[in-house]
Amino acid sequence: MKRYFAVLLGILTAIGGFVDIGDLVTNAQVGARFGTSLAWVVLMGVIGICVFAEMSGRVAAVSGRATFDLVRERLGPRIGFLNLVGSMLVTLLTFIAEIGGVALALQLVSSVHHVLLVPFVAVAVWLVLWRAKFSSIENVLGLMGLALIGFAVALWQLGPDWGGLAAGLSPAEKPGAEGWATYAFFGVALFGAAMTPYEVFFFSSGGVEERWTAKDLGVMRANVLIGFPLGGVLSVAIAASAATLFLPAGVAVETLGQVGLPVAVGLGKIGLAIVVLGFFAATFGAACETGLSTGYSLAQYFGFPWGKFVRPREAAGFHLILLVVTVIAAGVLLTGVDPIMVTEVSVVFSAVALPLTYFPILVVANDPDYLGEHVNGRLANLLGVVYLLIITIASLAAIPLMVVTSMGQG
Amino acid sequence: MKCSQRPAVVAVRLVASLLVLLTGCGVVSEPDATAWDQHAVQALTDAASQVATARLALEAAGDGRTWPTYTTVLVAEAEEAAGTAEEDLARLQVPPERADAAPEVLDLLGRAVDLVAEARAHAVAGTYDDRALLDALDRLSDDLRQAAP
Repeated sequence: MKRYFAVLLGILTAIGGFVDIGDLVTNAQVGARFGTSLAWVVLMGVIGICVFAEMSGRVAAVSGRATFDLVRERLGPRIGFLNLVGSMLVTLLTFIAEIGGVALALQLVSSVHHVLLVPFVAVAVWLVLWRAKFSSIENVLGLMGLALIGFAVALWQLGPDWGGLAAGLSPAEKPGAEGWATYAFFGVALFGAAMTPYEVFFFSSGGVEERWTAKDLGVMRANVLIGFPLGGVLSVAIAASAATLFLPAGVAVETLGQVGLPVAVGLGKIGLAIVVLGFFAATFGAACETGLSTGYSLAQYFGFPWGKFVRPREAAGFHLILLVVTVIAAGVLLTGVDPIMVTEVSVVFSAVALPLTYFPILVVANDPDYLGEHVNGRLANLLGVVYLLIITIASLAAIPLMVVTSMGQG
Repeated sequence: MKCSQRPAVVAVRLVASLLVLLTGCGVVSEPDATAWDQHAVQALTDAASQVATARLALEAAGDGRTWPTYTTVLVAEAEEAAGTAEEDLARLQVPPERADAAPEVLDLLGRAVDLVAEARAHAVAGTYDDRALLDALDRLSDDLRQAAP
């Protein structure tokens, strides 16, 4: 019974934890401009994150060591450093966006400008990172993130033309006013948002924090293969509800308030309050995950004690990194930079950094010295190689598309 | 005391002067009508989006579907974004070919800023059921979209 409860809890937190500020904003923007014609990218992204999260979770469970720890050892300090820099910068950018997202969510209920809320949010995030247990962070915020299911209910209440939404799933149904370059840019951004690098680092380091062993592989796979796809369904619901309300009205989504408006129209105040709670939980949870991920990656690369399972005094370097990145994030946001713009940039650069993150995982997951009988099978390698090709194309296309389309303006 | 300069120094100074001249020419070049059109279409599209957002926000608030701070934040952000769209276009030098069209476009954008500001004032005051304002937002949104094909 306890084991079933653990599986259920893991799946629920994986669903609630899947969506972050990048998914919220990018899916709503895409829905408002392209309807459901880019939903196939979410599907591709979800399959990709499942493939690599399963690999990194398996590495953590079998070897008892996290990704960066092994990447440096297996591929050497130079490749490890390249992997560290690329992933760290993107994760830091995402961390800034998530803290900004928490401030934006609080602004919606307080009407206090988000810049004034940033210092309080930063202190709250740092306190949670310092004091809270790993399982509390993951479970409480992950379960609260389930409030975003409100988007799926709101979509049903908005009474869309279901046939039209289904017909719009084809790329051929892209609105005529939008160019193919803009379509491709948003496709890459959506892919970057779904496969953002911190998710696998957090997942594998979390496995070490929770002391997974080979016996936990089944639970881990259930979390990944059920939780993440259901999280992807939430992403599509966000896009579809934005498409239903905003596409006919010609509204482009540029604020978090707009992201929640379809829920307000569909469900009213209570539904909106639940979804705003979901905004808070999703962004706060992701802020904790990205903050921890920066600490994990640096500490694992340089080889000093890390993690929430170690006393703060014994992992002083790890906790110092958490403090420094929180101060950096707050400092950047206090300049008045728009958190939504930071989010847009972070998802594009996530796409750029994808090969740096995922190639080493594929290599380590094929090494019998670490994984023994649990090395990648044929299917995992086939999917891994196919996805490596796709993410390389997305990575190479991201910056040219960003320049050509002026960040998706067309 | 007079000293002669080495040929390399003279050449560098000549190239530098030429670059300054060319850069200066670039700055004062004729404004491009096509580029201005693109900026105008973007500004009109952005403004139409903000006007429609204000309309949806007020309507939702009028139906009791949002709380006051949410509506105020939403409409205030729409006002700021509409203002940015207008300022970005107004800052550009109007090319001679668009001398007649530009005042109309800028006037339309100015009306959008004013109307969304009025919507924000209504949101702050909690008066969401001004039918005339909602109709005006509807009409202006249509006008902006028609002006930006």
